[in-house]
Amino acid sequence: MKVDNDVALENRLSRVDALLKVAGAAKYASDQYPAKMIYGKLLRFPYGAGTVKSADADAARAVPGVLEVEIDLAETAKYPGWVIGHIVAENRAAIGDAEEAAALAFDATSAASVADRQYDGAGALDAEAKQRVDDVLGRSAAVVEGTWRTQVQTHSCLETHGTVVDFHGDSADVWGNSQSTFSMLDMAEPLGIDRSAVRVDNEFVGGGFGSKFGIGAEGRLAAQMSKKYKRPCKVMLDRREEHLDAGNRPGSIQYIALGAGEDGRILGGRIDGVSIVGFGRGGGGVTNLGDKRFDNYDLGAYEFTQSEINLNFSKPRAFRAPGWPQAVFALEGAVDELAEKLGIDPVEMRRINYRSARRHKQLGIGAELIGWNRRAPTGSQTGRVRTGFGVAGAMWPVWNTECGAEADIHRTGQVEVRVGVQDIGTGTFTLVTDVAAHELGLDRSLVRGKVGRSSYPQGPGSGGSQVSRAAAPATTHAVRAALADLTKIVAKEWKMKPEDVGYSGGVFTGGAKTLEWRKACALMSGDKITASGRTETGQEGDGTSDCVQFAEVEVDTETGIVRVKRIVAVHAAGVIVNRITIENQICGGVVQGLSYALFENVRLDPNTGAMVNPEFINYKLAGPVDIPEIVPVLDVEEGDTGVRPIGEPATIPTAAAIGNAIANAIGARVRELPMTPERVLAALDTKGAGT
Amino acid sequence: MKAFEYAVAKNEKGIHTALARGYTVKAGGIDLLDMLKERIAKTDKVVSILGVESLRGIRETDDHIEIGSLATLAELADDPLVAGLAPSLADSVRHAATPQIRAVATVGGNLCQRPRCWYFRSRDHHCLKKGGSSCFAVEGDNTYHALFGPGPCHIVHPSNLATALRALEGEVVVAGETEKRTVSAADFFAMPDRRMYAENTLEDGEIVLAVRVPKAVGGNAYVDLKEKQSFDWPLASAAVAQVGGRWNVVMGAVAPVPWFAKEASEALREAGGIDAGVAARVADAAIAGAEPMSRNAWRLKLARAAVRRAVLLAAGKEID
Ligand SMILES: Cc1cc2nc3c(=O)[nH]c(=O)nc-3n(C[C@H](O)[C@H](O)[C@H](O)COP(=O)(O)OP(=O)(O)OC[C@H]3O[C@@H](n4cnc5c(N)ncnc54)[C@H](O)[C@@H]3O)c2cc1C
Ligand code: SF4
Repeated sequence: MKVDNDVALENRLSRVDALLKVAGAAKYASDQYPAKMIYGKLLRFPYGAGTVKSADADAARAVPGVLEVEIDLAETAKYPGWVIGHIVAENRAAIGDAEEAAALAFDATSAASVADRQYDGAGALDAEAKQRVDDVLGRSAAVVEGTWRTQVQTHSCLETHGTVVDFHGDSADVWGNSQSTFSMLDMAEPLGIDRSAVRVDNEFVGGGFGSKFGIGAEGRLAAQMSKKYKRPCKVMLDRREEHLDAGNRPGSIQYIALGAGEDGRILGGRIDGVSIVGFGRGGGGVTNLGDKRFDNYDLGAYEFTQSEINLNFSKPRAFRAPGWPQAVFALEGAVDELAEKLGIDPVEMRRINYRSARRHKQLGIGAELIGWNRRAPTGSQTGRVRTGFGVAGAMWPVWNTECGAEADIHRTGQVEVRVGVQDIGTGTFTLVTDVAAHELGLDRSLVRGKVGRSSYPQGPGSGGSQVSRAAAPATTHAVRAALADLTKIVAKEWKMKPEDVGYSGGVFTGGAKTLEWRKACALMSGDKITASGRTETGQEGDGTSDCVQFAEVEVDTETGIVRVKRIVAVHAAGVIVNRITIENQICGGVVQGLSYALFENVRLDPNTGAMVNPEFINYKLAGPVDIPEIVPVLDVEEGDTGVRPIGEPATIPTAAAIGNAIANAIGARVRELPMTPERVLAALDTKGAGT
Repeated sequence: MKAFEYAVAKNEKGIHTALARGYTVKAGGIDLLDMLKERIAKTDKVVSILGVESLRGIRETDDHIEIGSLATLAELADDPLVAGLAPSLADSVRHAATPQIRAVATVGGNLCQRPRCWYFRSRDHHCLKKGGSSCFAVEGDNTYHALFGPGPCHIVHPSNLATALRALEGEVVVAGETEKRTVSAADFFAMPDRRMYAENTLEDGEIVLAVRVPKAVGGNAYVDLKEKQSFDWPLASAAVAQVGGRWNVVMGAVAPVPWFAKEASEALREAGGIDAGVAARVADAAIAGAEPMSRNAWRLKLARAAVRRAVLLAAGKEID
């Protein structure tokens, strides 16, 4: 049975868990205080590389309330945040006192903290490939050549990573904040018990953005200590640890040489992507440009190479559309420059070159809403404050993933649906509730959607924007199966065949008879009916989530300060379920993209290798006053199937659109993120100097 | 956070009794508690002064406006008396930090807050200011550090209010256990060669009772330029004020103290009128003697812009 088309339900009701969250009644892992709980903390090396020179572990152990102090003097640290030991204590104050008493002293050795010191240009091509590039650029009416740079960005989840583990000997309770409820079963390994003996409560998760899969070093410590001390143990990272060692989006240096014909059609060229990763791999670099499946554009004949620069920093982790925002910032910037050289309007340039017809239509919608006709020719303004408009687009592929669900219909008429996916702030509780309510034609108040526990049927982790797409049809299947069982009970009561009983909008019908939902439920002999449903494992699905975003900015040319005035975000996301949660995803993606475009930046000290801004004052996140009006537009077409990804595409084109708008305003391009006043002023200077 | 003893002072005498016993003063606590949580501040005794009524309020004397050290930034920003006479003072705090912080943070605490230098705020960098042997900013990331001054510490003073107060020729009323004194804003703040471990000239046992601004002020204006429009300190700021007929140009966020721009002030005093050309010349003069560090010369443009705008606004002109 194909159910994709059937989940349609569009509403504007507020999130089902809104009140719980606002009132503080939603309990996150950090809110758990089981009796007799102890606390663990990882000790970390502060600089780029080196070893612990000395430590007074005994003094630390002597602090009242301290249970255990381990400091590894043999460990060679390779990045700031590298784990060099741990402290376990009765309370958090004792941990701080013990850390101070330990008087850790370090030997810092030289560390790689500046990517540009390792960059020596685009990777080499063999003679034939080089010839192909020269040929295509030679044939081009216009060529753009440049190097784009993007910074390292940390996930900055509101809720830091952390776990509470309560080990009971042959089983354990785990409170986590994971993007994959079932990956928390990995706790079985450090606990030395069977996976089936681990019960995970992962109901409320304060953001993940790709950084919260698996149990992490913090979960492992909590498990080991709970087992050792036979008491519940909590380990929560603090903000500094969160920046240092809980995931990041790798930086990049991207060399692009692209040529286009007189008609604007891109003919091809050369793209070289260097990912600036920490001491190891992970989290997606700039590789997506080379992957045809992900192509934003028809780029013609181009040669692609990629490599990595390693810094003494922690490994990247998947970060909301891994690889994409960095690649799209560079590519959409280059395409804009080509358009400028050819005298073609940037919107037109994209109509000529975007593969997707869907995006051609979206360009029209967005241009109208942003007021594209107000856009002055690039570099034509002379006032101190100049306004600019920019556009960029992206797409996101669809995955069909295996997912199970269970539905109860109670004698009271209440319905409960359980899906073992998780709500990382995205609105999965709401989605499951709304899909079930719609399927049964019942008021939402009768339905309770539940997610985030390992005792529920298994579903995918929150990666690749696939949870909603999988959980919606699984819910539908489960609810339909339960309804079929209830229908049989009604049919029996009416002495009819189930096929002859109809159901619509909370009312059963059979011949001249009708029966309202609650009365039908009351016919059950037991307390409830339970049925399950699942979606099959899919191969690669059809369709994509296409989008374009438009930005309007104001640039103060005396100070280099950029204010974003408006973002119009036009997104196709398949069938719409709850408008509030989907618009929320779009706005959240735009805010994160804006923050990436203008502010966020991991700063490593060039000498000590320490991160100088592991907090939220100098690691700057866009705040309320920096966030402009955001206009989310949902592009829904007849024939759209299923719920489609939105979480990731929503953040991809924002930085590129803002970058293009800045260039339009000031007639000079900032090719490096974040686009700070310093860089905007430098771009203006370069222009002034006529280079 | 380290556990600390906590006392509550009911009057000024109570504050001094606590200080004599080694307590540290807590007003709004915005900065002090941060410093304690990070274990940068080492005190284990804290006395709250919030209950001391005599330190509250904003009042008028014959020739001054006097602002109690416990007036909050929000109260200062909204005070009609201040808005009428010294709008630059109100403007300096109106958009500082965030609404939540302004509702709690006090005038005294704002002037006495510790520097934001990220090496100073990091436990892992034992720099000059903390008794170490070098300044990490010199060879490190000094993007937000000083543009003026010889060092050896290169912080910028973190208080917006300090910049405005200095231009208005304000005074700080200070009290020790037995004596009160009034010190000009010019003398209240101290360069690192004079005071390495503090940013002002308060002696042990002294507290700020109030700040005073002369009523004989003419045009005055404060401008700051920020990367982010909230929850951020300025990249540069400027206050320009005419006091007793004399123009003062002061820059903020560019030096370890509010930086009196001598040549610029003189240029403005001699200009005999203010127009766009004068403002530009004064602004050029303000940044002429700068000694930027390896990564922050670009901020001179912002300092210049802040001065130019403040000059125009102080003269009641629009910013072009
Ligand atoms: C995110 C953020 C952004 C900010 N942005 C800005 C900004 O843009 N501009 C700006 O100016 N400030 C800014 N601040 C700083 C904030 O304004 C100060 O931290 C606040 O004003 C301190 O006041 P308080 O009353 O809380 O001081 P407390 O934290 O109580 O005290 C601060 C220090 O002053 C001492 N102290 C307090 N009162 C007295 C007194 N009467 N006499 C002697 N010593 C005293 C204390 O011992 C302590 O050392 C920002 C703060 C934050 C957190
Ligand atoms: S500027 Fe001052 S506070 Fe900062 S590192 Fe140098 S000495 Fe320390």
